[in-house]
Amino acid sequence: MKLTRRELALGTIAAATIPAQARAEAEPIRIGWLAALTGPLASPSIGFDRGVRFATDEINAKGGINGRKIELVVRDTQGDPTKAVNATQEVISRFKVHAIWGPTNSGELLATTPIMARAKVPSLVAGVVNSLIDPTKYPNAFRVTPSNIQWDAAVRNYTIEKVKAKKVAVVADATGYGTAALADSVAGFKAANIEVVYSATIDPAQPDVSPDILRMKNAGADAIVAWTVSSGLAARLMNARAEAGWDVPIVGHPAMGTGEIGKLVTKPANWDKVYIIGYKSCSFDDAGKLPARTQAFVDAAKGKFPLNDTSLWWVVSGVDSIRLIAEAVEKTGSSDADKIIGYWNTLTNWPGLYGTYSFSTTEHNGFHTDEIVMQRANSQHDGAFALAPGYA
Amino acid sequence: MTRVVPYLALFGAALLLPLFSNDYWAVIGARAAVYWILVGGLNLVVGFGGQLAIGYVALLTLGAYTASVMVARYDLNPFLSYGAAGVVGAIAGVIVGLPALRLRTFYFAMTTLGFATIVTQVALAWQSVTGGGIGLSGPALPAPFDSQWGFYLLAVALAALVTRLSANVAHSRFGRSLVAIRDAEVAAEAVGIAKPRLLATVFLFSGACAGVAGGLFATLQSYITPEAFSFDLSVTFFIAILVGGRGSILGPLIGNIILTLLPEFAAPLVAWSTFLYAALLLAIVLAMPGGIAALLDFRNRRPLPANRSIVPQPLRIAGHGTARGAIELKNVVLAFGGVRAIDGLDMTIRPGEVHGLIGPNGSGKTTTLNVISGYYAPQQGEAFLGTTPLPHGAPQARAALGIARTFQTPRLIGEASVLDNVMIGATIEGRASFLESVLCLPRHRADEKRLKARAMDALATVGLDALADVRADRLQHSELRFMEIARGLILNPAFILLDEPAAGLSGEEIKRLGELIKAMAQQGIGVLLVEHHADLIFDICDRVTVLNLGRELAAGTPADIRAHKEVVSAYLGA
Amino acid sequence: MLAAILAAGLAVGATYALIGITYNLMFSASRVMSFTAGQLGMAGGVLGALFIARLGLPVIPGFILALAGCALIGVVTEYVAVRPVLKALDQHLYVLSTLGLALMIQQFTAIEWSTEPQPFPRLLGLSTTGPWDEKFWLPILACAVAVGGLEYLYRHTLIGRAFLAIAEDNFAARALGLPERNLRIASFALAGVVGGLAGFASGELLLAFFANGAMLNFLGFVPVALGGLGNNRGAVIGGLALGLFQQAANFIVGGVFASVAVFTVFILVLLLRPQGLFGAPVARRV
Repeated sequence: MKLTRRELALGTIAAATIPAQARAEAEPIRIGWLAALTGPLASPSIGFDRGVRFATDEINAKGGINGRKIELVVRDTQGDPTKAVNATQEVISRFKVHAIWGPTNSGELLATTPIMARAKVPSLVAGVVNSLIDPTKYPNAFRVTPSNIQWDAAVRNYTIEKVKAKKVAVVADATGYGTAALADSVAGFKAANIEVVYSATIDPAQPDVSPDILRMKNAGADAIVAWTVSSGLAARLMNARAEAGWDVPIVGHPAMGTGEIGKLVTKPANWDKVYIIGYKSCSFDDAGKLPARTQAFVDAAKGKFPLNDTSLWWVVSGVDSIRLIAEAVEKTGSSDADKIIGYWNTLTNWPGLYGTYSFSTTEHNGFHTDEIVMQRANSQHDGAFALAPGYA
Repeated sequence: MTRVVPYLALFGAALLLPLFSNDYWAVIGARAAVYWILVGGLNLVVGFGGQLAIGYVALLTLGAYTASVMVARYDLNPFLSYGAAGVVGAIAGVIVGLPALRLRTFYFAMTTLGFATIVTQVALAWQSVTGGGIGLSGPALPAPFDSQWGFYLLAVALAALVTRLSANVAHSRFGRSLVAIRDAEVAAEAVGIAKPRLLATVFLFSGACAGVAGGLFATLQSYITPEAFSFDLSVTFFIAILVGGRGSILGPLIGNIILTLLPEFAAPLVAWSTFLYAALLLAIVLAMPGGIAALLDFRNRRPLPANRSIVPQPLRIAGHGTARGAIELKNVVLAFGGVRAIDGLDMTIRPGEVHGLIGPNGSGKTTTLNVISGYYAPQQGEAFLGTTPLPHGAPQARAALGIARTFQTPRLIGEASVLDNVMIGATIEGRASFLESVLCLPRHRADEKRLKARAMDALATVGLDALADVRADRLQHSELRFMEIARGLILNPAFILLDEPAAGLSGEEIKRLGELIKAMAQQGIGVLLVEHHADLIFDICDRVTVLNLGRELAAGTPADIRAHKEVVSAYLGA
Repeated sequence: MLAAILAAGLAVGATYALIGITYNLMFSASRVMSFTAGQLGMAGGVLGALFIARLGLPVIPGFILALAGCALIGVVTEYVAVRPVLKALDQHLYVLSTLGLALMIQQFTAIEWSTEPQPFPRLLGLSTTGPWDEKFWLPILACAVAVGGLEYLYRHTLIGRAFLAIAEDNFAARALGLPERNLRIASFALAGVVGGLAGFASGELLLAFFANGAMLNFLGFVPVALGGLGNNRGAVIGGLALGLFQQAANFIVGGVFASVAVFTVFILVLLLRPQGLFGAPVARRV
């Protein structure tokens, strides 16, 4: 449901005439959902969106929170930072939302986070860039996904401990995210005394990456660490690895597990030995079973929306975010920003579908590191993946 | 004064906006204002100068990064950082713009795209300064500009300033010259407009605007990463100008507001927004090349009187004070490929005389005129003014020597008024520098007053003063011929070269033209008259040269020529 | 590794050259440089993937349909963006009309096809790998066939000579009674076929991706700038040189700097020799 300005204005006039308590109960809980629903960066948002709507419908079907319905104010930002800034101000000033979820791309988030902080709107952050979270500068922002430090560590630890690589090659796509991730990753390996024998950014449009692969191979790399959201580049790396008759593992970004890759690899086998960042909650164990909580959700969601064309963690992350907001309102009996933020600051081991979260006034990176695992990139089923070797 | 009413209304409405709305509209309004600061400057390049700079987001990027880096890394005052962004933008504007001097439209458009790519890639790669993909914070302003409305008012004030400054440029000889090189480059050269200098200056100005806009953009975004500077944004700027209409300021201003606001009102269409902009561009080009400005141009929709006639009043011509003797051609030879267009021609055009140049098609008449006016360099021989040789291949140097000309096909600036078309003729006599014009200082105002008065005199002389405010492309062909003569006369020329001025004129008009030409000669102007109308030539010329195959067939007074057997048998059909 | 750089460089270079020839074909018929040239290359790849991979047609009919689709886009370009502005006095309008149409094609593809690169079918299914893989030599073969075919057309067929006459002098050709308008439409259709061929032949290499249009627009223009406007042989040399330079730069200095290098070289070449390395300066016009 979307609010027009007129309805909003009428609502405000009506609200002024009834007592504060009653007003708070009647007023819906408005959540701004800033999604990149179209454009080249749309896939994660489409997944998140399913979870967001699932959780909203579920809560509203039960009569809402303290009698208050949840109302989503959705804006498509197309992943464009300028549109994201406009949309953020719109949901804050025009729709007076009580909390915001999104936007979902780092370039957008970097721009919108200070704006939300200025307006003191409780916001849940789904972005890995480290600098997005700073409880002093942005006391209103809480991260519900891992940070890049956590991602980076997960990949590095797996590469060192499970792949047992001594020499690594690190590559990234030549985009904003890629160049930043490459620098962090290389620094991390060097700090761990692992030799980085090759590091480069690659233009996602580069038609053939076999020379890059050959140079990695000649340098004696034991593993390729890849940070790319470009399915074209990821598939080319895998194809070139196979053509070079080389079989070191590729470890890295979750985008290497999307269904698009499956269409782009020349042979299905090229997708083997590719390990991506994943989450315990969305991993099949050796018996092919999901954790019970996740399985219950999947069963409930089946038939409501497709699960196979998106990552499950995006969906469950969307569910968790809505539930986090709803619970804060329910427990504090108020949708005031201070109350919501205050409640989130007290959360310890909050059990979500996607992960377990803990926040405090000084730590807004709430996602537990031990929830992060590595998965086999080519094992997607219902949006979940099988654990990578070494976790048994 | 009615000219400023729409601007006052727009900016007045902008000042009232805070009373009626919330912070969201402050952001949208500030965005429109910031974009206008760039588009207003770019408008001079694209809308007036006709240079298709489609990659101007490069300058926005540079400005944004300069301001942000200055504040974040060197702790500069944010307002000073905008200044720094303006300086960097100005320098980069010249670098991005200079290829326009050598490259044609499509090529130039491509180089600006190339610059846009390079700037983004450098921003990505130069991590230690720009933050690479992670980017950096934009300059944060102190109170009272730290609130959305505070920033909005600052941006609107600067946008109003840019509107004023760009209007000053547009209504100066620089603005008219830009339109002239866009629509009539050859004529622009003939009146002495130096394209390189003019374009460099304008690129400097528009680059500075874009740089400052970049700094403000960084503050508005609060944080910048390379993704924020998309090609779509660049195209939007460009399309705003074309939707608004070329050669207008109000049109692009409205176009910019519409394009900034449209996506906010059409949220369901957001995925198709770039597609719709592109369709809009195509539709404008095909159906309404004048854009919004043409829609708003009510004055030029009133019909012109149908039975109007051109009545010259030749008494108002002023002679050229400092005639430096005659124009003399000595043994001039010019060949194209194997064909000798001019083959050893000697000729003298004296001040105060009408010199007719006749001959069959292809005999070298217009070529001779082009040698004198500097478009062609003679391969042998020389053209002199008095005793000094006329510089080769430098048509833009002729106006300063008091040599004016008209063209076989009138070279008009169709979208400009008749008055502007004539004022172009005296471009070199403007004394105010570009900076004085931008700031509308006294010397600029004196220039405008003086040139306007002289243009009205020149128009009255040729009998077109009643049409001064009409758009030139609405004139009849014969009127355009007289307009071109007025453009020459405003220079108070020592010589005027007329290339078939009677072509397409009625008998009555030819008679009046003849009187006008005679009056010009009486004021001491040397006239070279290339013509086919033998009657006109013999009526008014003091001397006549007859050309054939690039050589002089006969020369002398009209009486001599009439008696010349070969000429009579070949051309005059006795 | 050198072999890999050579193979990829020549393959993308041949693709750029074909797009350059597409520019030339449209230019010689109309004096118009069209932003749709690169989009034709993109469309060749996308339509090929659509007909063969998505709709399951065999390779030959899929190939013919893809080229026919591109020829249609070429003709539409002529109708919508070129013919209406040819009459206009203003020389600049074609830049704007073709830019508008090109952006429309690109956005339409992005929304209706996909914003992710989609697989292009394996055409011959040969089991070669490495530098001798079909994805590398198909574009080179396509370029050779196109250049040879055009030479044959120009030298040995009546319509080819008519094309040349139009390119040489539009007005004179019309005065001779040549059907100038029909020849122009035919040229744009032919340009569509050549552009489509570029995209189709390089499909396995560049994938069926909407953003290829903008990329090919730019990199396909470089051979024109290098080789001189209207000079197809110059475009081939320029294209291959660009492809090799780009791939070498990719591997020597890496992604970010490689594109800076390519664009810098492009701008410098244009500034130093606006008429191209093999072109002659144009005479002036008073």
